[in-house]
Amino acid sequence: MRLLFLALLRKPLRTFLTIFSIAVALFLYCFLESVLDAFSVGVNMANASRLVVQHKESLAFQIPISYRSSIEQCEGVNAVVPMVWFGGLYTPKDQTGETREEFFAQFACELDEYMSIVPEVVIRDPEQKKALLADQAGCVVGDKTAERLGIKVGDRVVLRSQIWSQPGSKPWEFNVRAIYTSDNQAFDRTMMLFHYKYFDEKREFGKGMIGIFVLGMKDPSRFHEIATAIDRRFENSPFETRTVTEKAFNMQFVAMMGNLQLLLRSIGSAIVLTMLLVAANTMMMSARDQTREMGILKSIGFTDGFVFRLLIGEALVIAGMGFLIGAGTAFAAFNLAEINPKPDFFPIFRMPPESLLGAAGIALVTGVLSGLVPAFVGMRMKATEALRSV
Amino acid sequence: MAEPTSEPIIQLRDTTKIYYKGGEEILTLDHVSLDIMEGDFVALMGPSGSGKTTLLNLIGGLDSPTGGQLVVCGQDLGELSPRELAQWRANHVSFIFQSFNLLPVLTAFQNVELPLTLLPLSRAERRQHVETALKIVGLAERMHHRPDELSGGQEQRVAIARALACDPKLLLADEPTGDLDAHSAQEVMNLLTSLNQEHGKTIIVVTHDPKVAGCARRQLHLEKGVLALDKRSTDRHPVAGPRA
Ligand SMILES: Nc1ncnc2c1ncn2[C@@H]1O[C@H](COP(=O)(O)OP(=O)(O)OP(=O)(O)O)[C@@H](O)[C@H]1O
Ligand SMILES: [Mg+2]
Repeated sequence: MRLLFLALLRKPLRTFLTIFSIAVALFLYCFLESVLDAFSVGVNMANASRLVVQHKESLAFQIPISYRSSIEQCEGVNAVVPMVWFGGLYTPKDQTGETREEFFAQFACELDEYMSIVPEVVIRDPEQKKALLADQAGCVVGDKTAERLGIKVGDRVVLRSQIWSQPGSKPWEFNVRAIYTSDNQAFDRTMMLFHYKYFDEKREFGKGMIGIFVLGMKDPSRFHEIATAIDRRFENSPFETRTVTEKAFNMQFVAMMGNLQLLLRSIGSAIVLTMLLVAANTMMMSARDQTREMGILKSIGFTDGFVFRLLIGEALVIAGMGFLIGAGTAFAAFNLAEINPKPDFFPIFRMPPESLLGAAGIALVTGVLSGLVPAFVGMRMKATEALRSV
Repeated sequence: MAEPTSEPIIQLRDTTKIYYKGGEEILTLDHVSLDIMEGDFVALMGPSGSGKTTLLNLIGGLDSPTGGQLVVCGQDLGELSPRELAQWRANHVSFIFQSFNLLPVLTAFQNVELPLTLLPLSRAERRQHVETALKIVGLAERMHHRPDELSGGQEQRVAIARALACDPKLLLADEPTGDLDAHSAQEVMNLLTSLNQEHGKTIIVVTHDPKVAGCARRQLHLEKGVLALDKRSTDRHPVAGPRA
């Protein structure tokens, strides 16, 4: 088997380039899978025990907070938390005095209740939690955003909302009182949450209107019944509602990305396929150059089967190394080093473990296919003919 | 000095080889019958295309005859499966080619070791065989060089060492001096002669060079696939040193 490695070293540059192109193809594949997975992250983070009530027509319309008490009366509902999408831009000054615009998701909500039905949000320091609940202008920021933008507890964060204004166009100011994290890897750790009461008092218009209610359920298996009951209650009211599971709610955003996903997937697949074809072609060509050597091995007394295994083995080793390098780099970068190519856009960017399997499968198929043809030719070729062809 | 014994190591009976190319039959060997004794040194001559290489490949089990019988080292090659034939080759014959045919990625040592990996030998035994073989061809100090770091003559001597490593009874050389200058050719022929005389190897050399043929005890001439001449040389050229 040492022969196999020596055969690979025969044209080190070509072997390296082949491995490299397979590695790049598989890295791209893993990257693409991660992107596609990042799009559906909301779906993955959804908790089955929560429902979301929104305006029947569209998320763009608000519903009155007064609905809350009647929703609370519905049987099976634990808690009801109103939430408003804030849509703010964070514009810090850096050392050179230039301002940047940074985006992350912000919500106004009732923090205490929100945290009771969303246990995924974890504030490790109880003092921080106390301070957060005590300060009306307080806010809690996810550790990923805090780290990315250098936000610390005690900071004052100024946001400019594209939706909500204060009288006299005063900027929105919040005190960072706590940083949250999560033990659930699929949960979004980039959000900022602040007190609904503070927000509602300060906003210039739309007072008393909210975007969604998030509900906790006593018995998640009864979600359908509960959702129907809520929606029926507001039928023919000025603001009809649509109640869906958190998963279905988050799915709406993925669906909006649907076409983009399809486009990405087809472009990506084309690139990956091309690179693999190039690699396979190179491997076959290199095997053709080896006919003579296969003839030598046979004349020495190596069997046809040995020659077959040697050529297949060579292709498999190349594909395998490509896999290790390509998928390994992707895994190390996204899952170990947690590199996120676009943190404001993808709250969570991880490579799904299945794509490692997928990449391994692609590598295996490439290796076998590109090795099979030369291996068969090499095996069937008579030593005399192999030696004749110079 | 070993003389040929009366045991035939190679027996051909009406051995025929026909190639088929594009529906056309090429009769390359036409009912050749021939005995070669163990320990003999045979030169195989004849014009280009007369079937010399074909005959050599048949004897070495690289190819199989279309008709007739072929017994080498007591084994009827027609009875062996391709797999058994490969195994048989590993144990009984070695080839030496015009173009040396060393594997370029391997060092001289590794090239010589290659056929030994097919035999049930320990690492240490292999090492010893390789060193012995390289010593015989006088290249012990070059064993870690790769083929492209050796001269043509040295490469061919490494190829001979490789052929010797597994200690086969039969050495088959196809124009071993064809790519060499006169000096290296002489060295190679001296080497083959001493292998025949001192180590008792049976050797068949295909050649166009009458000087090379002169080293052999027996000269066979092929013409269009038929044995035309079978001559035993009495006045053998003395084994001389490299010509000045
Ligand atoms: N694999 C093959 N397929 C078809 N024809 C072949 C094959 N091998 C040899 N021949 C034909 O058989 C004949 C004898 O070939 P061979 O190689 O034995 O000649 P040779 O005596 O060794 O010639 P040279 O001195 O040029 O090496 C030639 O006519 C050649 O074209
Ligand atoms: Mg020939």
